[in-house]
Amino acid sequence: MINNLGIVDTKKIIAAIHESFGLDLKDYNLTTLKKRFSHLLFYFNAPIIDDFILDIKSNNFNKDEFIDQLMIDSTELFRDPSFWRELRENYLPDITSTVGSKIWLAGVSSGEEIYSLMILLRESGLRDKIRVEVSCPSTKRIERIRNGGFYDMKKMEVGDANYVRFAGDGDLKKHYTVEGTKAIMDTTLLNGVEFNTMNVSQENPSKGYRIIVFRNILIQYNLPLYEKVVRKLTQNITVGGHLMIGNKETLEHSEVGKRMQLVNDIEKIYRKRFD
Amino acid sequence: MDYKAVIIGGSAGSFQVITKIIASLPENYSLPVILCLHRLKHVRSGFVEALSIKSKMPILEPNDKDPIKAGKIYLAPANYHMYVELGNRFTLSTEDVVNHSRPSIDLSFSSASYNYKRKLVGIILSGANKDGALGLKAVNDSGGLTIVQDPSDCQVPTMTQAAISATEVDHVYNTRKIIEFLLNLDS
Repeated sequence: MINNLGIVDTKKIIAAIHESFGLDLKDYNLTTLKKRFSHLLFYFNAPIIDDFILDIKSNNFNKDEFIDQLMIDSTELFRDPSFWRELRENYLPDITSTVGSKIWLAGVSSGEEIYSLMILLRESGLRDKIRVEVSCPSTKRIERIRNGGFYDMKKMEVGDANYVRFAGDGDLKKHYTVEGTKAIMDTTLLNGVEFNTMNVSQENPSKGYRIIVFRNILIQYNLPLYEKVVRKLTQNITVGGHLMIGNKETLEHSEVGKRMQLVNDIEKIYRKRFD
Repeated sequence: MDYKAVIIGGSAGSFQVITKIIASLPENYSLPVILCLHRLKHVRSGFVEALSIKSKMPILEPNDKDPIKAGKIYLAPANYHMYVELGNRFTLSTEDVVNHSRPSIDLSFSSASYNYKRKLVGIILSGANKDGALGLKAVNDSGGLTIVQDPSDCQVPTMTQAAISATEVDHVYNTRKIIEFLLNLDS
């Protein structure tokens, strides 16, 4: 349970991770971090917290594996089907009419968001009309996503049901094969997708995106980091472009977010009004 | 005792109880009331509206980072865990389901107990699984006050029985007594 890890130990782990891996977590929200660290202690079979901290400092963990386990598998295929319908019907037609438009999935963790988008683009015949960029801080995860995701079949049942709600009919199964208990996505869906390992909370992205999708990631940050990331995201959207966040996230708590106009309150889609 | 919040968890068979409770609370109730109720993950709308019919207090599904205020009822939104974070704000999370549930009562109760310590009242109502038992234990361990709906008063007693087994609860009350207790808290 999340209360077992005290605030002092949590802060020590944050400092050790920063020192060894260069990853600064001090502005992530505390409850989520405590829960993630409890998971790491369990995963690495480390019952003694001080030993665990020493192991981090002594670089006894593989960085990729460590960050992979630290990240949250935050989504499912076509999570919030009404969002994907909205994207397909009211936002993509406009931007795909301009040559070279870019969409950025700025914080992918398990890869279901990118597969959802690519299935949508393929089925809508829009794939060739848009550039797709994906950021995910873990090289291990990017590799797994590119190799087909390897999603638990149990979770795929949720994806299948979401897909039916999204598409109205059809079958998600045409986009994946099953090996044992895992679903392997059709990797040709990712043809032409540009992957990078940027962590938007710590690095500076490039400009000129018509759409940035950043759903359910701001929830991991405390208010100062939230403000900083909202600033970066809004700076990199073209005027008239859109930022799409989770349906229970908001830019209301952000100063810089006031540059953005809420155009869909149910799916939380914001339009950039001016630079 | 000067309490800062009431948190209520429930699942199968709790809807009617919750409706009775919130219908009894006055418009300007002096505490925030936090509800973590098991619900369908893919149905985002309709629940607040159904609960609001008889409530005098405003009911909200909070957005992430919304501040927690007295006199309001907060309902954990579909398909998110809902935490109480330092600074008296909500934080939402999309981490894995816990006890087959998102929102999980254990997680909401644990985070609330960490932040409110002994100034929290935790209440577990009717339900068909054991989610909430560890959460109520966390409330007890932090010095908060614990109440469980009397299993004989529950449509489905599994959740309340699990809570009673997991921790020493302060009160086992039927619905009427829970309402009386909450009205007495109002200052």
